[in-house]
Amino acid sequence: MPESLATPEPIQRLIEAFHRLPGIGPKSAQRLAYHLVRTSPQEAESLARAIVEARERIHYCSRCVNLTERDPCAVCADPRRDQSTICVVEQPLDVLAIERSGIYRGVYHVLHGILNPMEGIGPEHLHIDALVARVAGGDVREVIMATNPSLEGEATVMYIQRVLAPHGVRVTRLARGLPSGADLEYADTMTLARALEGRQEL
Amino acid sequence: MAGRPPRTVATEGVVLRRRPAGDADAILVLLTPGEGRVDAVARGVRKPQSKLRGHVEPVTRSRFLLAHGRSLDVVAQAESVDAYLGIKANLDALAAAIYCCELAERFAAERSPQPDLYLLLVDVLDALARGVNPALAARYFELHLLAVCGFELQVAACASCGAELPEADALFSAASGGLLCAACRVEVPGRLLSVRAQKVLRYARRAGVDAFCGVRVPAETAEEVRAALGEAVRAVLDAEPRSARFFETLPPS
Repeated sequence: MPESLATPEPIQRLIEAFHRLPGIGPKSAQRLAYHLVRTSPQEAESLARAIVEARERIHYCSRCVNLTERDPCAVCADPRRDQSTICVVEQPLDVLAIERSGIYRGVYHVLHGILNPMEGIGPEHLHIDALVARVAGGDVREVIMATNPSLEGEATVMYIQRVLAPHGVRVTRLARGLPSGADLEYADTMTLARALEGRQEL
Repeated sequence: MAGRPPRTVATEGVVLRRRPAGDADAILVLLTPGEGRVDAVARGVRKPQSKLRGHVEPVTRSRFLLAHGRSLDVVAQAESVDAYLGIKANLDALAAAIYCCELAERFAAERSPQPDLYLLLVDVLDALARGVNPALAARYFELHLLAVCGFELQVAACASCGAELPEADALFSAASGGLLCAACRVEVPGRLLSVRAQKVLRYARRAGVDAFCGVRVPAETAEEVRAALGEAVRAVLDAEPRSARFFETLPPS
């Protein structure tokens, strides 16, 4: 390619940086990079500052491992929350989803991932040791497993149940079955079996 | 004049792996009897309202209607035949099933009929769902997988000269393709296998999965067999299967 047609080096670096982000393919990375270099210097600077600030000011909560500006995080520090009930989730966004329901009054533990042996993600890559230490060291009565109802989610639930067994804590998981608006005809065996197991008295 | 290939194909298959793609899609790795390993896109499957979702979970046997796409097939329909609930309720069985599925994916040829490999995988998954010993089921799968994929280990006689093996420790050499007699093992790297471990390997080769998994194997012998078969698998793959560590290091229940 003639030198005059090559992408300028700073834009190329920006494209590569965007391409490393999750869900961003090469074309999206190019679009974002070219969009940014066309914006006003103030807008570009404000984005750069927001990235640096978020990276500098956000840390892991020393109790629940959620992302937070202050340690402990707002949920862990709230005296009205039930500290004896821990809801275990895969990602920080799952905490927001459960908080939106407005029903749960306990605290959380964020694993930052899920067991996925085929992709080489084992227990050592998740914050399972921190959960075990929390249960071992405190007055925890119940651990609610709120991982996704997938094969990897099931593996994570069973693994955590096994490592928590010596501590005698009650381990429960979110109910599984037919989602609202579902069509029984299309339901798979696993979902139907779980829905029948979890049926309720009317 | 040759006809155009069909635009859709109906096949049974086991979902070996599922990885996310785009916002709501997933790419499935399937093992099918007639098409071998097939990668197929399941559109919108990560949305809660997806009708395909539960039918395309890994470690599930389903009937598929696959539409040929430009690069990957697209899952047009899927209906689960066996969700292997018995496996998914037991961590040890699940870890063994994941390990077997990974091996099947790595050994299977793409777009090439693999009926024997398919039957073997279904046989072992069925047995795991019935509650057989997961570790022995994995050993059975490794040994038979090597055989159906053209890497059969010689466990009944010397892999080099074909001589009958005496009732004594024998050298197992993954590179040589099995057990070696005293005369052939000079300067060949490998590991010594006890007579008991050799008998376990021979029985695994000729028995059905249920009969083999019902055998009581002392822990020491099981470890010898695990190490030997693991070495043979690694020798073919030239890599450690990713799920092996998880399977082998589960805390006791």
